[in-house]
Amino acid sequence: MAYTTFNRQINDQMKEPMFFGNPVNVSRYDQQKYGIFEKLIEKQLSFFWRPEEVDVSKDRIDYQNLPEHEKHIFISNLKYQTLLDSVQGRSPNVAFLPIVSLPELETWIETWAFSETIHSRSYTHIVRNISAEPHKVFDDIMLNEKILQRAEDVTRYYDALIDGINLYQRCGEGTHTINGETETISLYELKRRLYLCVMSVNVLEAIRFYVSFACSFAFAERELMEGNAKIIRLIARDEALHLTGTQHMLNIMAAGDDDPQMAQIAKECEEEAYAIFRKAAEQEKDWAEFLFKDGSMIGLNKDILCQYVEYITNSRMQAIGLKAIFPTTQNPIPWINTWLVSDNVQVAPQEAEISSYLVGQIDNEVDGADFGDFDL
Amino acid sequence: MPSVKISGGAVIDFDGSRRTLLDALEQQKLDVNFHCREGYCGACRCKLLQGEVRYLNEPLAFVRKGEFLPCCSIPLTDIDIEIP
Ligand code: FES
Ligand SMILES: [Fe+2]
Ligand SMILES: [Fe+2]
Repeated sequence: MAYTTFNRQINDQMKEPMFFGNPVNVSRYDQQKYGIFEKLIEKQLSFFWRPEEVDVSKDRIDYQNLPEHEKHIFISNLKYQTLLDSVQGRSPNVAFLPIVSLPELETWIETWAFSETIHSRSYTHIVRNISAEPHKVFDDIMLNEKILQRAEDVTRYYDALIDGINLYQRCGEGTHTINGETETISLYELKRRLYLCVMSVNVLEAIRFYVSFACSFAFAERELMEGNAKIIRLIARDEALHLTGTQHMLNIMAAGDDDPQMAQIAKECEEEAYAIFRKAAEQEKDWAEFLFKDGSMIGLNKDILCQYVEYITNSRMQAIGLKAIFPTTQNPIPWINTWLVSDNVQVAPQEAEISSYLVGQIDNEVDGADFGDFDL
Repeated sequence: MPSVKISGGAVIDFDGSRRTLLDALEQQKLDVNFHCREGYCGACRCKLLQGEVRYLNEPLAFVRKGEFLPCCSIPLTDIDIEIP
């Protein structure tokens, strides 16, 4: 079952499962087993943006004027998001590409991961602007205990899957002795790791990000750090698409038509799925406590944010057919929704300017005389 | 003019003055969750207990059986819905 970059086996791609069938040979989209992934690709491409296009220069003054405890909230969130997107910018590629069997899904995974690299670059854009010493912010990520604790759970499922794939593709199913250590791998176990991995990615994109989104927008509601909020809206728009992607994968797996074993695994892993959601919600509440340890911000405090974690956890769980685990049914910060509306991305009420350099150039160079010869 | 029955209680008419079911529900001051309002995030998912809806654009979000997305749909027939 070794991986090959161009599988010579002539196969009917329409009959392959999403994962663990034949490696993809021809990247063709004239026929698609799951058209949804092609549609997600198109949508993601239509969302394309560059951090440099967003003017964040006003944020520098805002940031300097923030009280210390709000600076802590702002910068800590940015560090946490940097961690999450560092992981997301590479892991879908490394973990899923060696095992994917459908061209449209393969390309969706690549498109998805690419958009995460834009998110990563945008954090540098933001940090460079507000700090004269951006290296200090990034250096601290690897030393910050609160962030590292989260990194552990965010990466664990990816690493277990990648490790299993390496062994399986090298040695096949069975018990192998490698460098003096005995390891056992089966396809079934690999599928289990895959399912749990997709589940934990879903939690990452559907819950973990939203705590910092809420803080970013809470600043922007006060007309502070609006350049940052503009970027976060673009990121949130992408994330909504990513979580829709993982929800589709999970639901296709659970339905079983694609791979009957996956349906069985989805059933077996139900308890573990609940545990993944529960643990992530707990961790995000811990994080809220850390954020507000020196004081709340106007419009948002630890309790409200924790309630929001519960609310969004419930709604994400129901989306994949699990039951809500928290009693909360009301969104404690309904104002966040207006920041997440797609068509508002361009025309928000309190909007920071988009300074597209290209558009700017053209504007400057065109004056009335240029239109002299035009007949309208 | 199709009617919309909400959680077995209030009934509103979808008179076409609102573009989508979500708009119509909000006009009645009903709280429905939403993010994208474009059919790709799934945040607005509601239960469709009876009747049929038509999507204005095909939604990208996963829709389970018995659910629908009010942000990008209109009622085709009288419908019975439940807002989570
Ligand atoms: S609000 Fe996003 S799908 Fe309806
Ligand atoms: Fe991201
Ligand atoms: Fe993402």
